[in-house]
This record gives sequence, structure tokens and C-alpha cells, in this order.
Amino acid sequence: MPCPLCRPSDLTAEAKIVLSVQGASRRYGERMALRDVSLQVQAGEVYALIGRNGAGKSTLAKAALGALTLDGGAVRVLDQDPARAAAVRRFIGVAPQEIALYGHMTVAENLAAFATLAGMRGPHAAAIQDAMAETACAGRASQRIDQLSGGWRRRANLAAAIVHGPRLLVLDEPSEGLDAETRAIYRRMVGRLRARGTAILLISHDTDDVTSLADRVGILNAGRLVAEGPPGAMVREAFGTRKELSVRLQTRSEAAARLLTQIGLSPRDGDLDWEGLIADAANRALEIERALLDLDVVIRELTVRPPGLNALIAWAADASPP
Amino acid sequence: MIFVMLKVMALGLWRDKGGLVLAFLLPPVVFIVFASVFAAGASGKLDLRAGVVDRTASADGRRLTAALSHQLGGRLATYPDQAALLAAIANERVDAGLILSGDLRHDPTPITVLIHPGRRAAGEVLTAQITAVAEKALPDMMTAREIVRLGPVLSLTERQRGRLNGAAAAAPAPPLVARRVLGGGDPIVVYYAGAVSILFLLFSAMQGAMILIEERRGGMRLRLGLSAGGVAPLMAGRMLWLVGLGIAQAFVLFAVAMVVYRIPLMESLGPWLVTAVCAASAAAGIALLVAAACRTREQAHAVGTFVVLILAAVGGSMAPRFLMPAPLQALGWLTPHAWVIEAYQTVLWRRVVNLQALEAWLVLASFGGVGFGLALALESRRKL
Repeated sequence: MPCPLCRPSDLTAEAKIVLSVQGASRRYGERMALRDVSLQVQAGEVYALIGRNGAGKSTLAKAALGALTLDGGAVRVLDQDPARAAAVRRFIGVAPQEIALYGHMTVAENLAAFATLAGMRGPHAAAIQDAMAETACAGRASQRIDQLSGGWRRRANLAAAIVHGPRLLVLDEPSEGLDAETRAIYRRMVGRLRARGTAILLISHDTDDVTSLADRVGILNAGRLVAEGPPGAMVREAFGTRKELSVRLQTRSEAAARLLTQIGLSPRDGDLDWEGLIADAANRALEIERALLDLDVVIRELTVRPPGLNALIAWAADASPP
Repeated sequence: MIFVMLKVMALGLWRDKGGLVLAFLLPPVVFIVFASVFAAGASGKLDLRAGVVDRTASADGRRLTAALSHQLGGRLATYPDQAALLAAIANERVDAGLILSGDLRHDPTPITVLIHPGRRAAGEVLTAQITAVAEKALPDMMTAREIVRLGPVLSLTERQRGRLNGAAAAAPAPPLVARRVLGGGDPIVVYYAGAVSILFLLFSAMQGAMILIEERRGGMRLRLGLSAGGVAPLMAGRMLWLVGLGIAQAFVLFAVAMVVYRIPLMESLGPWLVTAVCAASAAAGIALLVAAACRTREQAHAVGTFVVLILAAVGGSMAPRFLMPAPLQALGWLTPHAWVIEAYQTVLWRRVVNLQALEAWLVLASFGGVGFGLALALESRRKL
């Protein structure tokens, strides 16, 4: 069997699966962080892991990086266990949620250091230039990290993740704290890496990001992978033609609460905000508006929109209680 | 990978001006202070300040006072009465005092030395200096005292007494004791060069090893965890840097000692270098172990300070080991400090490489090796 690490450009059909997780389980004391999770990420695919806080996303990411010992199951990167095979780790890149760079060193010095640590041999100048160009941080190459603003640090953090040309890139909340310009740079970078065949495991709470970038989404709930698929298709499959309808009232009203509950909406953050998924939402919205006006209830806001990933996460959590 | 970590740590120090001062400027300054205090004590140059009350109003009293003042470099103050002298001693304007209260030739004990209870050594030194000065500058007076003492026993006539007095003045008695200070320079200077160097080596190593804890923060550990060589080369790089830093620090300190106190550094450069490497290894091993064992920077700072100060106090970096009680001296051999001091004294003062030096090198290297090994094991086992 050809060694994918030795000839990474000659991938066989099997080697197109860059990350494979089979039956992964991990317990922290009494709490199960992962329960029998299986998934695969292929070359040139962006796979987004979404779920509520504590769902097990970060634990799964650490397992993919080989930084965590599983209680059960297996993780393979390019068909090797990253926790045991040091050689395969050079094909993995990570952009942690926090800035993981040496503050006293410049952007270029950091990239050179991490390129060498990742096992790159020979001069790294071209790779460093490429990574900085990709993340648009070449203009700050000779500035120290601790003298950069937050946005520039984020760019450098991304550059350090890709400088060695990883085959698997793990992005942990990469868009958190990004300004609009850096966010656009980051999205372009992800698009180009995908086009080059990099497998990307994206962990994010940013549903806009996930919707626009991910080819497939995996929803984790209490350590279990409860749904998986292309985001648009998953939403359609889960909700059909139903739309998300939300109402914000000016004042509390028991009569209004009874009416909204009857229609199928649920209160959120007190009893002024109500939301729910309902069929024929456009017509129902007009009916709701008239009924509330008849009750002398002032509506501050009434919106109808297609359900997104947040609704999907909530739906998945309800559909598969722990 | 080792060299990447070396570069990371070197840049960290180079760009931290406070760290540079702490590493290279402070140790020589502290060494000079310690060495000037303790080396002066060891050489007998105590810069003693004394006070005198002369109730005799005699020529012998004036001669003794003048000779003693000359001996003390002018640091002999005259007071009108005992009360004034006692007040000067109590207020520590002088270290000790003497009262000339009787006939210096005929009274059995005409001089009283007043000693501050906290400065008994000063009293002993003043007593010895009075005797020495009297023998040297007032031989006639000393002979007269002998004649007074032995005259009744020997039944000397007045004429015989007069002739003996004249002979004593013409031919002063030779000193009973001749002194010879052995060669090889001042061991206390070498002692403190070693003692201060290991103290600051450990301080700097602790500071440098904190990078282990910094790297656990902010996802850095995840990124470093992907390094192709694993944990061992990263730890080796850190160890190598700390050892190199320690050697450089020790060199600066001993170079100052060479210039200021003429320590024979260049004549024993090889053995000195081996000692410096072993000492730096010991400091680096201990520092990495402390950093690896601690979970937070605050914890490491507290534990590190405790370790540095306790080892320094017991090991002889703060006060000379030969002044310590025997049990404390024995306990000192459990610290790298005592071995570092021993090794430097052997190679730089005794100027030999003998079993003592080899034993010290072996112990210090063991401190380094065991510390590094345990730190590596702890870091390798540390899970996210």
C-alpha cells in the first residue's frame, strides 16, 4: 500500500479521506464529552462542527489533532493515528481560538519558527511569503505580535496555521472577533485552500460562516453526532416549507400569550419575545398581526424568515435529548 | 527544532531589557557587595571604629592613644568621660571603646575595653590590637610592666631595674609570632563568586522556564503539539538555552571577579568551564522541573521563589557555610549551591582538578539530568 505521507501528491481514492473518526468516545469524570462519534472529512471539503457549548466540538478537534487520548474508537489522519505517528502531524494545521503565537517575535519570525517545528526543511521564505499573502498580513511581517492590533494578530494566527501547507486544517472559532475586512480575507483563504484540496474542520458558532463556507455540517449534541449533511439540505429536510416566525410585543399580555402558544410559538427570554416554526408563515403572520391588534397588544416587531442553522441546532437538541 | 526553541528563548531575553539587566548586570553588582563585605572580614580589614577615654593624662597614655589611632587609620575618637563613650557605643557611632584608667606601667590591668553586645568580634579585635600596638610602639612600657611583675620575685635592685629599662628601650623584644598568608588569592572571593553565580543562575533559569507555562495558554500547546518531533526536542531546546544563558551569566560574573579581585580565571579556564556547564545544567534542570510541575504562572512563581531562597540560604549563597552550625552545613550538601561553591573553590583557589572537583561536577550534572528527565516526563504526560 503506498504511503500517503511519503507521496502526498499521489493520493489514492481512499487517501482522499483526510480525517476519519470512528466510534470516538471520551469521558471527563462523570461527563461523556464524546459518545461514539464517527465522521469523515475529505480532501477539498469544509466540514463544520456545530452545536451548543459543551457539546463536544473542541474535544473532537483535539482528538483530530492527536492531542487527546480517546477512551474508545479511533482517529485517523491520512490513515495514521495523529496521537502516535508524529510524522502525520506535519500535515495538520491548527488555528486555535486564542492567539497562539510568540508575542515577543515578529510575524515573519513566528511563521519561520512554526514552519520549522512542523517539519519543513530548507528555506521557508517562499512558504512564509505565501502564507502572509494568503492572510494579507505581509504588511506587518516585521512587527512584533504584541504590538499588533487584534485583527492583525488573527491574520497572523491563521497564517501560522497554513504556513507549512497542511492537508488537514482545524479552525477553532476562526471568525470570532474579526472585523469585516479580516472576515472577508479569512473566507477567501478558506475558499482557496478548499480549492487546493485541503480538508478543513471548522468549529464555529457563527452560523453565517458555516452556511457560506461548509460543504457539510455535523451537529453535536451532548457528545453525540446527531445530524450530518450539507447545511441547506439539512435545513430543508428538517423543516420542509416551515418558516421561522418571531414576534416581539411592546407589553406583556396573558391573552396574547395564550394566542401565541396556541399558534405554536414559544416564549424566549421572558414573555415579550416569541418564536417558532410554522407552515404557511406569510399568511399566518397577517392573521397573528390582526389577532394581536384585536387584543389591543402593540407589536414591536414581527419577522418571517427561512430557518437557519441555529434553528437546526435547537431542533437537533430537541430531537435527540441526552 | 531544538534550535527553533533556542531562538525563541534567545529573542525573548534579547527583547526584554529588564531581563537582560537581571541576568547580566545584577549578579556582578551583588557579587561585589558580598565579596567586599566578607573578603574584607576574612583579610582582617574590618574598618573598626573605636572610642577612647584617657583618664591617666600621662605620656604613656598619649603615646598609646596616638599609636592605636594610627593603627586604626584615624578611626579612634576621644571622649571626655565614660558616659559619653558608653553613649557612643550604644548609638553605634563606634564599634568598641577603651578606657585608660590606671598607671599603665604599674597597675595590673589599667585598660578596660567596652564591648557592644552585638559586636563582640569588634571587641576581640580591639583588644588584640591594643596589645599588638603596645608591644610595637611602647616596648619600654611593656618591659617596665614585666619588671614590676617580676621585680619582687627576682629581688631586683633599683640600679638593675634602671638598666633593664634602658636595655628594653634599646633592644625591643622580637615578636613571638610571625604571620604568613598563604598564596592563591582570597578563597572568600571565589566562594562568593560561586555562591552568587548559582543564586542568579537559578533565578534566571526559573524566569526562563516560565515559557513552559506560557505555552500552555492560548492554544499554543495545541499548535506546539503538532510539531513533528514531539515534546522532547522542544524541551531539549529550552534546556540548552538555559544552560547557555547560565554559562554566559557565570562568565560575566567571574570576569568581573577576575578584574576586580584578580581571580585566576584564565589560568584555570578549562576546569572553570566544566564547572560552569555543570552549575548551569543543575539550575536549568531544577527550573524546568518546577515549571513542569506547576499548573499556573502564579503557582510556579511562588514555588520558584521558595526553592531559590531556601536553596540559597541552606546552600551558602547568603552567608558563608563555614559560619553555619554543623547540621546546617551537612544539609547544605543536598543543594547544588554547596557543590557549585566547592567546585569553584577547588578549581580556582586550590587550582586542582581532583576527586573533590569530579564529585562536585558529577553531583551537579545529576541535578541537571534528573531535573530535565522528570520535567520531560511530566510535560509528555500532561494532557489537554
